[in-house]
Amino acid sequence: MSELTHASAPKRFVGGQLLGSSQLVLGVILAVLCIAISIAAPQFYSEANIIAILRQCALVLIVASGMTMLIITAEVDLSVGASLAFVGCIGMAVLNSTHSLTLGLLAALAFAGGVGLFNGLVVTRLRVNSLIATIGTMMMLQGGVYLFTREAVQNHNQLASFTDLGAGYVGAVPVPVILAALIFVVAYVTLRFTTLGRYLYAVGANEKAVRLSGLRSERLKLFAFVLTGLCVGVAGMILSSLMNAGQPTAGRGFELTVIAAVILGGTSLLGGRGSLFGTLLGVLVLKVIDNGIIILGWNQDLQMVVPGVVIILATYLDIIRNKANVR
Amino acid sequence: MSVDFLHPGEGGAIDTSVPALELRGIDKRFPGVVALDNVDFSLEPGKIHALMGENGAGKSTLIKIMAGVYGKDAGTIRMRGHEVDIKSPRDSLKEGIKVVFQEIALISEFTVAENIFLEGYPTGRAGSIDWKKIRADSAALFNRIGFNVDPAARTGSLPVSQQQMVEIARALAHEARVVVMDEPTSSLTPNEVSLLFTVIRRLASLGIAVVYVSHKLDEVFEIADTVTVLRDGRHISTRPIGEHTNDTLIQDMIGRRIDNLFPRQRGPAGSRVALSVENLSTAKKLSDVSFEARAGEVLGFFGLMGAGRTELAKAIVGYDPITAGTITVDGSRLVPHDTRTGVKLGIGLLTEDRKSEGLMGELPVYQNASLASLGAFARLGFVDKAKEHKAVQDYVDRFRIKTPSLFQQVKNLSGGNQQKVLIARWLMRGLKVIVVDEPTRGIDVGAKSEIFALIDRLAGEGLAVVMMTSEMPELLGLADRIAVMCEGRLTVIMSREEATQEKILNAAIG
Repeated sequence: MSELTHASAPKRFVGGQLLGSSQLVLGVILAVLCIAISIAAPQFYSEANIIAILRQCALVLIVASGMTMLIITAEVDLSVGASLAFVGCIGMAVLNSTHSLTLGLLAALAFAGGVGLFNGLVVTRLRVNSLIATIGTMMMLQGGVYLFTREAVQNHNQLASFTDLGAGYVGAVPVPVILAALIFVVAYVTLRFTTLGRYLYAVGANEKAVRLSGLRSERLKLFAFVLTGLCVGVAGMILSSLMNAGQPTAGRGFELTVIAAVILGGTSLLGGRGSLFGTLLGVLVLKVIDNGIIILGWNQDLQMVVPGVVIILATYLDIIRNKANVR
Repeated sequence: MSVDFLHPGEGGAIDTSVPALELRGIDKRFPGVVALDNVDFSLEPGKIHALMGENGAGKSTLIKIMAGVYGKDAGTIRMRGHEVDIKSPRDSLKEGIKVVFQEIALISEFTVAENIFLEGYPTGRAGSIDWKKIRADSAALFNRIGFNVDPAARTGSLPVSQQQMVEIARALAHEARVVVMDEPTSSLTPNEVSLLFTVIRRLASLGIAVVYVSHKLDEVFEIADTVTVLRDGRHISTRPIGEHTNDTLIQDMIGRRIDNLFPRQRGPAGSRVALSVENLSTAKKLSDVSFEARAGEVLGFFGLMGAGRTELAKAIVGYDPITAGTITVDGSRLVPHDTRTGVKLGIGLLTEDRKSEGLMGELPVYQNASLASLGAFARLGFVDKAKEHKAVQDYVDRFRIKTPSLFQQVKNLSGGNQQKVLIARWLMRGLKVIVVDEPTRGIDVGAKSEIFALIDRLAGEGLAVVMMTSEMPELLGLADRIAVMCEGRLTVIMSREEATQEKILNAAIG
């Protein structure tokens, strides 16, 4: 029996630890996309366009970094889109009344972190399924933002530092891209090299085993929820800076883009499996598709259709790959 | 479904010349285990036939073959003289065999009447379901077995005893010739048991052959006409109940000698008390359990199914809540009652359910092994992987864990090797008391003795081992002292020397 088990066991992937083979599939998809688009439209490879793509990626990547951790613990947060809009309005309102970017940022982080904490408590204490709990939160936030403000909160101060948050550059690189890279690296290091990261995987892989090992599984999940919330806080402020206003209607469908990128990157909704590097590739694939559709002058409604097809295709390829590994 | 089930052969003579169901030469193998070996089993119409044996004797496998849940590897099945081929639960029902499992298989959201006619609703004109007829027929069925349940009641709202009646009524609706009751009294009160017995006798009087699976001696003496005993997958005896006494039945059930498969290496147990449990109770199962376990000893807990061993195991490590009592590990109280405190004090559980409570199947061997001790390999929150891998590799070598590498997903290992990884998880953490629950469940015969040797070594290294088991050889081969549980209570604690299988089984039956 045991000999058989050994023979059929999958080999450790060859391309080093960085590129798990699910990322390999995605990497190939990304490469094919880039080549195909640049053949059809050479301006795809202009510096301006690459910067534009990266800027597009930044918001999604920031929230997807937190979301990857959360999904690895086998939970999910659907309220990030609604929270993103609300956060922008609150941050802008605080900025207007205090004339302080720091206080505005703190307010945004406090609010978004609070939303995460609320989600986490509902899930871990009341034991409501996270899908349902965060749909509830999403609805509360979507309605709640209109109780807070009927229309967009305009930027009254025009603080230069606030405008830079979304539109500024360091050298040739947009500030949001730098922030996204920073958050990505911290999250990456946390997941890969720290005990905390290992516990997040463990809790997603088997929560009961984690509890029996004397660890507080609820705290770990709570942490992931709050972290996701804080990422939304950062993203919300960048977004309101870009729009020069807090828009209550912003962020519709944002949660789906984020979750799609994470799933595309090979993170399992069942928990315990996934990587931030995959998420990065997932975000890039989605945004390159977006960009390509615009550059090629296709009907923009395809921006929703094509990623839908890609997600199903990539997940299917992943299943085939897994089966091939097991045989 | 017609109405003729309401009055077939009632009151008339029952033809007993042909067996209602006859199984001959049944073999069933699972990987590494012979579950049934050339077993014969024959049922007379109108008789109540008890099927007895220890846990693992093959009772469940046999009735699952009758029910079509498992296929047989060899042998023949005849219904009233005709050979039949049972490939699925559906075939089994069609042949007139109805098995009432411990886990009631009713749809709890449906009404009683809906459940009874689940496989074929009577329809009126235009194909609409004839609800009136369903209710009336249900009521008629209950009338026949002499039991009253409201056909319109939601099934889930009924107590287990009444749900059993619904299952029995369902058997009648299917014109069952054979009704199998699997440990039907395990969750019934004495009153409900006597009601059930009345109904079972009524079934027999209708000419139905009843199989009564149980390990409760008193019940079998009360209800059965004939007793068949299985042991280690083999047919041991079939006799009229009148030829049996308590002693002869127990003899048949346990007859084998316990081979000394597990040579004891460790020295005598120490005297220091490592775990002390006083007056422990839980909401559902345990009541007033007290015992002590000493460093270097294996304290074995025996009990039949549902005796409360797993509940006790989970309660004393802080996993499940308790309602009363105190737990003291190495001199410190387990307060607050959670696993975090438990592990800190040095008590941990090796679970019986490796897959759902122990392993992180998707994750590699090394991460599974180091889960409880990861903090020891960390500096400022960062894992020192080299140190971690070295420590895990050390256990892989010492325990001879067969894995291609530390990075292998643990789900790809065999059961025995998975168990060793989980034992390593606790040893890397360093415990004073380890609670092992059914340590060899689902493990190949060959690997079993390795696990035994490991447990022996744990005690030898000074841990107190509390071992929950339903396997006699395991118990007698490993334990220094033997505690027996029955229905959530501790009935007796005896030393290995004074323990005999008869004494243990008697205490377990209560």
